[in-house]
Amino acid sequence: MPAVPNNRRAVIVEDNADIRRLLVQIVSEQGFTVAEAETGRDGLELIRAGGADLITLDLNLPDLDGIEVCRQVRAFSDAYILMITARVEEVDRLSGLETGADDYISKPFSPRELQARIGALFRRPRSQPVDAVPGADQERAAEVQRSLLPGEPLRVQDYDMAGRCRPTRNVGGDFFDWCATDKGLQLTVADAMGKGMGAALIAATVRAVLRSSNRHADLNQAFAAASQALEWDLAQSSSFVTIFHARLDAGSGTVDYVDAGHGLGLHLYDGGLRRLPSGGPPVGAVPGSIWAAGSLLLAPGDSLLVLSDGLLDAFDSVDAAMDAVAGVATVRESPEEVCDAVLELAGTAVADDVTAVMLRRCPPEHTEGAQ
Amino acid sequence: MQFTVETTPAYAEVNGSGRLNMVAAPLLREVVAAVVAEGNHHVVVNMEGTEFMDSSGLGALIGCLKIARQAGGDLRIANVQPQVKMVLELTSMHRVLNPYESVDAAFPHA
Repeated sequence: MPAVPNNRRAVIVEDNADIRRLLVQIVSEQGFTVAEAETGRDGLELIRAGGADLITLDLNLPDLDGIEVCRQVRAFSDAYILMITARVEEVDRLSGLETGADDYISKPFSPRELQARIGALFRRPRSQPVDAVPGADQERAAEVQRSLLPGEPLRVQDYDMAGRCRPTRNVGGDFFDWCATDKGLQLTVADAMGKGMGAALIAATVRAVLRSSNRHADLNQAFAAASQALEWDLAQSSSFVTIFHARLDAGSGTVDYVDAGHGLGLHLYDGGLRRLPSGGPPVGAVPGSIWAAGSLLLAPGDSLLVLSDGLLDAFDSVDAAMDAVAGVATVRESPEEVCDAVLELAGTAVADDVTAVMLRRCPPEHTEGAQ
Repeated sequence: MQFTVETTPAYAEVNGSGRLNMVAAPLLREVVAAVVAEGNHHVVVNMEGTEFMDSSGLGALIGCLKIARQAGGDLRIANVQPQVKMVLELTSMHRVLNPYESVDAAFPHA
């Protein structure tokens, strides 16, 4: 008997009760835990709820076509799919394979033949589809991403801050980070190209490299060293990352920043909003790039708000998005409220991650504790 | 997303319509790599029908640019739509991937 590892789950989707019983028996004998469904919809539900390592799928189901079930399964699972068909025409066989089925077998079949086919499937190495992030990878990527975010805001006298990151189901590479420095703090918002585990790992590397870069007193020098360290890794994975990286001198309110292809650093003042000019391409996009740091002064009551481009998906243009952000920022009180409102602007339809980080220099009445 | 290729003596034109995203990005790389391997070192990507591009799509364009330049040629983009233009400007990549108004304008003297 072909060897199939233990603790594997099979889902049998077959409307004919006799054949279903036979399939359950054959597959159980191969060491699978077996669940069974009479219809395509019930089958999909079983697979979604409990997962599956092997699915046998009848082409002629009472509700959904077997090909349609196969297509839907492939959107979230890379289980081995064995199509079972009474239609012997070549076209059906081909379309069964094109939808992502691994093999097919025609009725009537012998138990021995079916077991041999299943055994052969499980000896094949599983290649990852390029256009889909498998469920388990997504979950791990989401964990990596969550673990990158800082827990509590830093306490810096005369400043408030908040950060929010809403990852999508298809995890992207957004993250933000902050840490205390001698003079105040440093703050980073970055977005790594692509989605899934790859993007999350790049984000983790970027965070670590930028954190350790603060040993350089000069921001230009710090960023040059960090980007050089990242470029090699990014080139290996044909990837890039947009970064907004800033340092606050809390006493003077001066923010020095480097914008590497991020483009969404905003200075909020007196109800107005100014987009800070970008200093060059994303890190990894154009090898050998040099970024020039910019600077702004946060007057009491002013804020630095850094967003990620996921927000823009909800708007027709950058200008329209900026108008909406300025609108919510003027009527909200605290950085937490502004960040929450910005995420709400993105709505739930946006398929990308959305991140908002705000650093506000408290208005005079706050610092003096009056009123 | 489907790509078509037309070659002229001066350049190869790659046409793609639809969404240049994570799914389409590797296809574009393959198409341009094949075009360059055939000896067409000057490539224009006609983006008239590309209504949307995400970061993976931009990554593909950057990768294709590298392929063309390594072969001693260049890759240029033409007929860029508003959302694609926005992504290019936001990332400052319009300085490297400068959008041309038409395919003919991309390699005028080639």
